[in-house]
Amino acid sequence: MRVIRQRPMNWVERLYIFECLRGLFTTIKHAARGLFRYETLPTISYPEGQPEIRNTYRAKHRLMLRPDGTPRCVACGMCAAACPAHCIFIEATQSDDPRIEKRVMRFDIDHLTCVFCGLCVEACPVDALRMDTKKISFMHRNREDFVAHLDDLVEWDPKDYPDDEQSQVAPGGTKNAEARKVWGMEVK
Amino acid sequence: MVPGDTNLLEALKAVGIETPHVCYHPYLPVSGNCRQCLVEQEGPRGRMLVIACYTPVAPGMKIYTPASSARVKNARKATQEFMLVNHPLDCPICDKAGECTLQENYMEAGQNESRMRPEYGKNYHGNPAHQFIDAKGQLRGGKHVDLGPRVLLDEERCVQCDRCVRFMRSIAGSEQLQLAGRADHTYITTFPGEKLDHEYDLCVTDVCPVGAMTAKYFRFQKRVWLLSHTPTISMDDSLGANIWLDHADGRIYRVMPRCNPVVNRSWLSNTSRLAFQQFDKNRLPAMDVHKPTFGSGKIALVAGGTCTIEDLAALRVLKESLGDRAEIFGGSLLKVGQPDGIAKSGDPVANRAGMKLLGFADVSEFMKRASEFETLVTVNANLFGEDPAAAKALEKINTRIALSPFDDETVKAATIAIGVRHWSEVQGTMVNSLNILQKLNACPVCPDEILWAPYEVVSHMAGAKFETAADAFKKAGEFAPVLSGLTYDAIKSTGKLLEGGEA
Repeated sequence: MRVIRQRPMNWVERLYIFECLRGLFTTIKHAARGLFRYETLPTISYPEGQPEIRNTYRAKHRLMLRPDGTPRCVACGMCAAACPAHCIFIEATQSDDPRIEKRVMRFDIDHLTCVFCGLCVEACPVDALRMDTKKISFMHRNREDFVAHLDDLVEWDPKDYPDDEQSQVAPGGTKNAEARKVWGMEVK
Repeated sequence: MVPGDTNLLEALKAVGIETPHVCYHPYLPVSGNCRQCLVEQEGPRGRMLVIACYTPVAPGMKIYTPASSARVKNARKATQEFMLVNHPLDCPICDKAGECTLQENYMEAGQNESRMRPEYGKNYHGNPAHQFIDAKGQLRGGKHVDLGPRVLLDEERCVQCDRCVRFMRSIAGSEQLQLAGRADHTYITTFPGEKLDHEYDLCVTDVCPVGAMTAKYFRFQKRVWLLSHTPTISMDDSLGANIWLDHADGRIYRVMPRCNPVVNRSWLSNTSRLAFQQFDKNRLPAMDVHKPTFGSGKIALVAGGTCTIEDLAALRVLKESLGDRAEIFGGSLLKVGQPDGIAKSGDPVANRAGMKLLGFADVSEFMKRASEFETLVTVNANLFGEDPAAAKALEKINTRIALSPFDDETVKAATIAIGVRHWSEVQGTMVNSLNILQKLNACPVCPDEILWAPYEVVSHMAGAKFETAADAFKKAGEFAPVLSGLTYDAIKSTGKLLEGGEA
């Protein structure tokens, strides 16, 4: 343990008036910086200025897509099982594609209950669920709208994820045509 | 310590040592093909690996289990590894995941690192007609083979334990499934052009240790670890098959047989199993129950087949309160069939033995003398639906009060109808055709929480409402001496054989 003893004040400090002026100077300095050198301030004036968000930030969820545009989700329920807030609701059904067994019919995430822990993303065995949309603001008129449904979760543009190879496989991406060729391989 | 005429696997279980097994099933003939239950036995030529399921117990045996022998541990681990060589890793989408024997065995005996070369992967060598190459270029196949009207087969997941084949052969008595091919190419199939269609065919989905056989009605409905289980009795047959009601979010998702060695062993007929689909349909709503004033004429109180002992006791109380002009009858107008020797006695009146205990006359007697009565009270008895022609005569009865969970024909023909709880939603007891007292538990799936159980409504009519099922059961003990002194706690999960022995 380290004990820091306070230095006793000298007589100038004890006069109080000079220290008071020194404090006032700090305030005026920052006020002047806000007026004349605004861009150097560490804060941003939200919502005009938007924060820069990293890829790893856990924002709103999205569902990854196969080359043919169907969600990659196999409705295994692992995300729902991992979810500590119990905010994921999944219903499964039989897939029309003979090579795929199970398809998701309902995929709801209640963003009012969600704690954005990212455990669902880690639990996903097929890398279908991601939280890299960088959408951090949730504004809706009523409570029901905060529940993201399947059609909402698959609505994203590959152009927003130029560096992500997996996103480019989806329809509209640069690698879609190539992936489609493999995906549409003849069933023997 | 160990029951005499038994095999080593059961004997080890009796002393508390669980042995992993795949093909062994207590109620199926031993096949011994999975080799998972290996133990070491001290013999004249030294210690040898033997399979526990096919070794009879003998006095003076010396057995080494994984706890005492590294060789057993390694052998089981190797067996497990071989079994998983071409078993697909689709546990996330497999309906059996969570109650799969392979998963359990892997956690107990396997836990090995994969030695598969990734460029080779897992391949399906079974039925050539069902093979395909997937997007990753792997040989796969047999994903959803339609075996029959109720069962789907996933050949890729099958581990060829042949439990389903043995079940159809020796229990169902109709050999509809077969193993085709040899070694790695083995697959389960039906005879050409034929389908798996049998009263007990859904039992193959129970005996299947992996997710190869799946029931169409439960496929993809719910992950099994989300289900809660209520142990109860199937009240559509007088054998009273022991069942689990697996429920979640206020509805029943599936019905599974509950093992009872003397009653239904591990089997359940499709009729009993799929009956739950109608439990929440066509229901009567809850309503205010008031005390009706019975006229001066004779009163017939008719109990249906699904009435529990508690309901019958309440009817007896109502009869006593009305005096000699009331008479009690029980039963149904449906024909009594033949027992099939598996899990059905063929008698649709589940609690017939209980009715006999509490002094109920058969309903056929009531039908003969129907014209004598002025009031008819039916409890869970759908007389108009069971035999519309015979029930025509009942329309002459002035007042017809029907207590029923469903909006059935009798309710439609009644002058007063009162909705009650279904047997899956009440606590109670029943006596089955083997004279075994069995306990029903309430599954929390009632569509209307304020609905009353039949015994509550009937006893309210009599003026002394039973607050709990236990009160009603205690009252039943006053009418039937064999039930007196018993409590719900005294009835084990497998039931209690009543005095007088097996009927």
